[in-house]
Amino acid sequence: MATKRLPDDLQNRRKKAVPILIVLYALTMFLQAQIDPRVRELRSGEQGLESTSGGLGGEFLLLPLLGFREAAAGLLWVRCDEFFHSGDYDAILPLVRLITWLDPHAENVFITGAWHLAYNFTDSTERSDRRYIVPSQELLKEGVRNNPRIPDINFELGWQNYDKVKDYSAAAAAFTAAINTRAWKGSDDFPYGAPLKTHHILAHTYAKQGRIPEAIAEWRRALARSAEQLARDPRNFTYISLNAAEKNNIKELFQRYHDRYTDHDHEKSVNPTKYPFVIAPPKGSNIPKPWDVNLHVKFEAPRPKVFKMSGTMNIADGARLEVRISDWDYDARDMKRRDVVSKEILQKFKVEEDQTILMDTASVRKNRFEKELDMSKDPRMYSFAADTYKVIFTFNIRTTSPHIQDRHGYSGEGLMDVKEHIVLDRHIDLLGTKMIEGQDGEGPVWDGKSVPWLIDGKGVYGQPARLVRVTYKLSRKQLLGLEPITNKDVVPNDAL
Amino acid sequence: MIPLAIANQTVREAMRRRVMWIFLISGLFLIAMGPVFGFLSPKDSQTVLRSLGLAAILLAGLFITIVTCIYLIPVEIERRTIYTVLSKPVQRYQFVLGKFLGGFATVFINIAAMGIVFLVLIYTQEHKVPMDMLLGVVMTFFQMLLLAALSIFFSTFTTPVVNFFLSFGVFMVGNLSSVTDSLASNPNPLVSNAGKIVHYLLPNFGNFNIQNSIIHPTIEIKNQEVFMMQNIIYAIVYSLVLLTLAVLIFDRREV
Repeated sequence: MATKRLPDDLQNRRKKAVPILIVLYALTMFLQAQIDPRVRELRSGEQGLESTSGGLGGEFLLLPLLGFREAAAGLLWVRCDEFFHSGDYDAILPLVRLITWLDPHAENVFITGAWHLAYNFTDSTERSDRRYIVPSQELLKEGVRNNPRIPDINFELGWQNYDKVKDYSAAAAAFTAAINTRAWKGSDDFPYGAPLKTHHILAHTYAKQGRIPEAIAEWRRALARSAEQLARDPRNFTYISLNAAEKNNIKELFQRYHDRYTDHDHEKSVNPTKYPFVIAPPKGSNIPKPWDVNLHVKFEAPRPKVFKMSGTMNIADGARLEVRISDWDYDARDMKRRDVVSKEILQKFKVEEDQTILMDTASVRKNRFEKELDMSKDPRMYSFAADTYKVIFTFNIRTTSPHIQDRHGYSGEGLMDVKEHIVLDRHIDLLGTKMIEGQDGEGPVWDGKSVPWLIDGKGVYGQPARLVRVTYKLSRKQLLGLEPITNKDVVPNDAL
Repeated sequence: MIPLAIANQTVREAMRRRVMWIFLISGLFLIAMGPVFGFLSPKDSQTVLRSLGLAAILLAGLFITIVTCIYLIPVEIERRTIYTVLSKPVQRYQFVLGKFLGGFATVFINIAAMGIVFLVLIYTQEHKVPMDMLLGVVMTFFQMLLLAALSIFFSTFTTPVVNFFLSFGVFMVGNLSSVTDSLASNPNPLVSNAGKIVHYLLPNFGNFNIQNSIIHPTIEIKNQEVFMMQNIIYAIVYSLVLLTLAVLIFDRREV
């Protein structure tokens, strides 16, 4: 290419064009400055390419650049499904991470991915790997941040805390956040922010916390909503059955309160006390005091990393005794991981391979329980790298089934242990409704009527749950069967 | 009228090119395959269908635009047909403008064809007019307008092969607007200034990528009309800048 001296008319055109060009260029810059804040807002939940590139291969970087982000994410999700059905669970994790980076608004990937992390990594006896709880919950929280108008992710976070972690205050917070989601046209739930079932599960959560007035108030909110839906569509069978179920649930809550905590007709039964047990005391006894569960636990290691828990507990059939075997400092390390969530957790869902934790339950039948816990077959899950371990056996009245609570109350007011294994859970958000005087409860007794139960605009709760708990402090040698486990290894329970 | 006559001839010529038809048919095939992929992922069938369709239009549109526009001027020079044109009372700027309009009309026809098929497909699936998807197609169209102007600009001083890589490269960098924007606010003044230069001087193709927001109905584009209009004006003004530069360079070029 060569240049030449331009004719005069072209020279003149150039002289005119250059200033116009400068003005137009300045206009593009001005427009770009106007567009930038809107684009930033639009992509506020998205991971920048510079941060995702650390976890993505070059071929995947090309896809978003070509506008294939959501399509690629959708197709990768299909691939996840194939991996799931072929049992290749580990392969799903990087894909889940990739998909949520490519499409941060794919809410079902956050939900299913978190469920996969929390539930599907198990040992050879189907006990899930609790170390994945932190990455699972972090994934859900990221999903909530990216999708504030979708209640489903908060619902899943609540459900995981309710069902898996049994952290009812965290569950209640997540369900409440789901209900408070801003309604948007086009949603199946419009004009409401979240599905009706969210009210139902929140009411159950309050009941698990022992907050009965709040549970009743939540059922009433659900009932009001289902009545509205029913008025709009009176022949819809779903609305009819939901409405009926809600009425039944409120009635049942009041019934339980009445049966457990009032002495109406109790003179005809064997329970002459204020305590909520309705079954007969032990034979030959007529002691008007809470029921003595008389927990006796035996913990042995017949083979290395194989344990046998057995014992007796004076409680109705169907009660479950929780067992937890973990590193002595597991909770402290876990708390640290939650406070400072590392890139390893967020980008790779990495778990601490040197941490050991097992959680399981044993069912009580005819006052006896027995279970073998084999931790020898899964060295990746149970490394036994620590020197000291904590083995905790707990009967938790709040997580037990209603027919057991009928005997001992929402917070275990009608429950004691002659060996003094009772621990009071005084976490402020787990204090339940105070139903009877004494038994470590504080504040006024609920009158069984005021719903919601408010004093100075706030719900007042003061009844700590009475857990029955035995804690062992064991060395690695003991868990490997090299040294015996005796009653001397039982240590005082941690304060809650 | 002269630019329109050149544009008319350019469209006819471009439509005869087999490679363009290959890209168009590939794009239509990808769009038509959307429901199949949706079937594989029932819960997300609409997301897959919508995202795949928009991505197919973008990808096919990208290659059609580049492949069409990089050849428009060099081929005329190579075949020496430009002498016949310029020996007539045709100004060089009219020639460049005509070529751009021809290339742009070709891109418009292709994107419109793919867009119609895509929208009809969505309509058959959802039984409602997908206005949000129409916005996506319109944004892709203006993105390609800018790319066409860029390719025409490069074609005034480079060979088609160099132009292909240059256009594709600038399109890629322009799509990294979120990165250049974050670089522009970097505390290091050197990085920040470099980020600002790239962000404001190069055409910002990333502005037009609204697929994620329109695929997911929960994502709200605030002041959508203003946002769309700003982007459309940006595409038109930037295209004018590139075409003016193309004319100035082509004026100096000896052919």
